[in-house]
Amino acid sequence: MEKIFWVTCPKCGCRYVCDYNLRHSKHQLVCPLCKHTFYDEESPEIDDR
Amino acid sequence: MPKSLRNFLEQVKTQLPDQYVEVRRPIDPAKHECTAILEHLTREQKFPLVKFVNPKNLRGEDSEMPIVSNVYARRERCAIALDWPVDQAKQPLSLEYSRLRDEKISPQVISRDEAPVKEIVLRGAEADPALLPGVLHYEKDLCPVFTMTLIMKDPDTGIYDISFIKTFYKGSQRLGCSIHSPHLERILDKYEKMGKPAPVVNVIGHHPAFYLGSMALVPYDNDDYSTIGSFLREPLRLVPSETWGEDFMVPADAEILIEGEIVPGHKELVDPFGEITRHYQAQCLRQAMDVTAITRRKDAILMDIFSGHHDHWNLGGIAKEGSLYRAVDNKLGTVTGAHIPYSGCGTLSCYISIDNKRDGDAKLAGLTALLENCHTLQLVVVVDKDIDVFNEQDVIWAVNTCCDFDRDITIIEKMRSVFTMALGQKKVIIDATRPLDRAYPDCFKLPDSVMERIKLDEWIEK
Repeated sequence: MEKIFWVTCPKCGCRYVCDYNLRHSKHQLVCPLCKHTFYDEESPEIDDR
Repeated sequence: MPKSLRNFLEQVKTQLPDQYVEVRRPIDPAKHECTAILEHLTREQKFPLVKFVNPKNLRGEDSEMPIVSNVYARRERCAIALDWPVDQAKQPLSLEYSRLRDEKISPQVISRDEAPVKEIVLRGAEADPALLPGVLHYEKDLCPVFTMTLIMKDPDTGIYDISFIKTFYKGSQRLGCSIHSPHLERILDKYEKMGKPAPVVNVIGHHPAFYLGSMALVPYDNDDYSTIGSFLREPLRLVPSETWGEDFMVPADAEILIEGEIVPGHKELVDPFGEITRHYQAQCLRQAMDVTAITRRKDAILMDIFSGHHDHWNLGGIAKEGSLYRAVDNKLGTVTGAHIPYSGCGTLSCYISIDNKRDGDAKLAGLTALLENCHTLQLVVVVDKDIDVFNEQDVIWAVNTCCDFDRDITIIEKMRSVFTMALGQKKVIIDATRPLDRAYPDCFKLPDSVMERIKLDEWIEK
């Protein structure tokens, strides 16, 4: 079972799920709605429980 | 005439005209318009095959390629795909699927001139998937996807493996591949160890039996082209690919083929994507496919799966039902039914009925089912033979009335599961058979002779 975490796009506020392998990784995420690229640390809200 | 998507569509129009719908108004699949129509139909409990005649391509231009979706949403159409009677679309269909899985028909090689998929060939910079009408399914999907199969070839044995894998349109001549098939992962590992790019072909449209065959649970060293021949009930016609020639043979009667290479170490972000469980699959890094060629019929039809709906659930569920039935039958000899219901998204749960004669047989049946399909199945409900496993109300009635929740629910811990579910790494067996160790009431019924004698239309005026 994959572990996931929630991020929020800092540009448009879209909340979506990411694979936990991307948490604290050097890879930028891509917002599915506005296509903004960002690091997970830039997300205003993260739920990685 | 070899089997193809278009002759299947004609069969559906003839045999099940109420299950075929065309949308002729111009439509933009990259703006959720196709899936919105399918969702509205679903909410009205309608599940026709839908042909979108005038879609836009990913460049926003009018596409000459229509889209068909919801092909598998009714079991009757799956029966037509397998040349099976439409009135035998429940258990007999899944048992026939299981029988076809164990048969093989060797493929047939044809010349390039005879191959419909070579009518149009695009190479190099011309081979841009944006020319296709890719579908954006759900609100948070990362990008449009091509939902159909990928083919890879083992570099050591030469065996072809076909798995149901989606690709994500990531920009000019690049696709992200969400490879989660154990067989394709094994092939990829081999290429990575060799440090070589892995050839891969995306098949976007073929006779529906092709894709039903691709879902068969077969060993790694199985030649999937021969298995698919069994499901087509004729040899799968093959032709040399554009990129690798005879070193990689491809389906000649496909609608559209995208040829490409997965270069070791090259990754792309893929997902979210609304998946079979109705959840979004989490964004992740997966393999990147560099497109080398696109070939297609001149009047190609793009095929899409309406993921997370009946279309998707039947494609996977029918493939598993027959295997589960036979696995439990081999172990116990008392199975009478096996069904993968829509409530479990065609993959998470199954209902098994047995002629229950011995204490413990129900749990054995459940364990056997879980082992047969251990990666995705998480719940097995075992019922008596007089319960119709295709009638969910009856199955849940059996759980309500025959199950001692203290004794009859088995939870197995630490069993890997592919999906992220609340159950985590647990599996559950519910024994909903009538207790054998105590007196237990039987169900009421009417005398058979009276039921035979009384015909409704002789008693009730219309």
